[in-house]
Amino acid sequence: MAARASYNGDNRRGEVDFQILVDLHYAALYRFAMSLTRVESDACDLVQQTFLAWATKGHQLQDTSKVKSWLFTTLHRCFLESRRRSTRFPHLEISGAEGELPNVEPDQVNHLDAQDVLHLLSQVDEQFQAAVALFYLEDYSYNEIASILEIPLGTVKSRIARGLAQLKGLVLRKAAPGAKATGGTA
Amino acid sequence: MTSAEAREILLLYRPGTADSAEPEMAEALALARQDPELGRWFEEHRAFQKAISAGFRQIEAPAHLKASLLIRGPARRALVTPQVWWRRPVWLTAAATGLLVLGLAGIWLRPRIPDRFANYRSRMVGEAQLAYRMDLETNDMQQVRQYMASHGAPADYDLTRGLERLQMTGGGRLTWRSKPVTMVCFDRGDKQMLFLFVMKRTAVKDPPPETPQLAKVRQMLVASWTRGDNTYVLAGPEEANFLRKYL
Repeated sequence: MAARASYNGDNRRGEVDFQILVDLHYAALYRFAMSLTRVESDACDLVQQTFLAWATKGHQLQDTSKVKSWLFTTLHRCFLESRRRSTRFPHLEISGAEGELPNVEPDQVNHLDAQDVLHLLSQVDEQFQAAVALFYLEDYSYNEIASILEIPLGTVKSRIARGLAQLKGLVLRKAAPGAKATGGTA
Repeated sequence: MTSAEAREILLLYRPGTADSAEPEMAEALALARQDPELGRWFEEHRAFQKAISAGFRQIEAPAHLKASLLIRGPARRALVTPQVWWRRPVWLTAAATGLLVLGLAGIWLRPRIPDRFANYRSRMVGEAQLAYRMDLETNDMQQVRQYMASHGAPADYDLTRGLERLQMTGGGRLTWRSKPVTMVCFDRGDKQMLFLFVMKRTAVKDPPPETPQLAKVRQMLVASWTRGDNTYVLAGPEEANFLRKYL
């Protein structure tokens, strides 16, 4: 995309056009915000806050190739601030998730739409939601997700693994209420 | 690597990414090709991943968000990297000085004639988009009128029925070619703003007619009309039935 070339190809900090920035990232940021809040107005507010933060603090970013992850990190921080969290998430290791891996048949998931997915995500433990959303929404590496969420790499993998296990269990329950997931659900 | 360990690793597998390049993932993938039960589980898991991912990607931003970001977005000048003046090349400073002199000369020597309405309208839309600043925040129209009157800006403006129904958030006094302009801001109720600019009709060569004229200016929808001594510009995000709703 031509617009992307206007700042991604040059690592020196220069003028980043606000409109191009909005064009490129507002939709992805909204999807992430919606994954976190599930409420359209709250998601819009988060995106607004994120771009406002960019306007006031974005010039501090030296490497313009990191604009996108900066925006995602900022949005996530805004979300956390809005929730006024007082407790830190426990650090979960990836081991232990294996016992929670139910089998899900393809026809049980083929008809899920955005609303279904958001509803399912809302039932996943809150501490796993952001990592799971980024895992699916963007093709970020685990290191990038760790950087965005500002947590260790092991914690990212742990949260995604546990979140996916819970998601699978929820899909099974949705497909067959009363049915038990093989391998146990979260 | 056991089948259980491979499952744990493959859980995080995403097709089309660099995940498969990781040695652990590559080993788990190889095992899935050899172990029928693991292979079957992996196929199901991939279908699950594909479906969930597709669901996430169906989330669409509301149509008004982008316009709202651009309209309510902060002043773009804030996005320019601040540079320390002594690091700038000397010729830039010289050029800037030259431009300043030319600019001042232009201001001093320019003919004092009313300008085109289109220029005024474009400037006002720019104000709304980039850096509008209310001198007072209030929902009391009388307060705004008094403020404008005391600052020499039009205070005798008429509000349309549509605007009277909206929540006012405040106002500000602007200038255009040294002529005072009254800006009144309204909240549409969906976190989007409407901006009404009022200026004396004699300040422009070609004031708009009494019947509101609709135009798209700088990604905003703008209605312009003249009534009595004043000319009006109403700017807001694009919306169906704009005229019917607010005029």
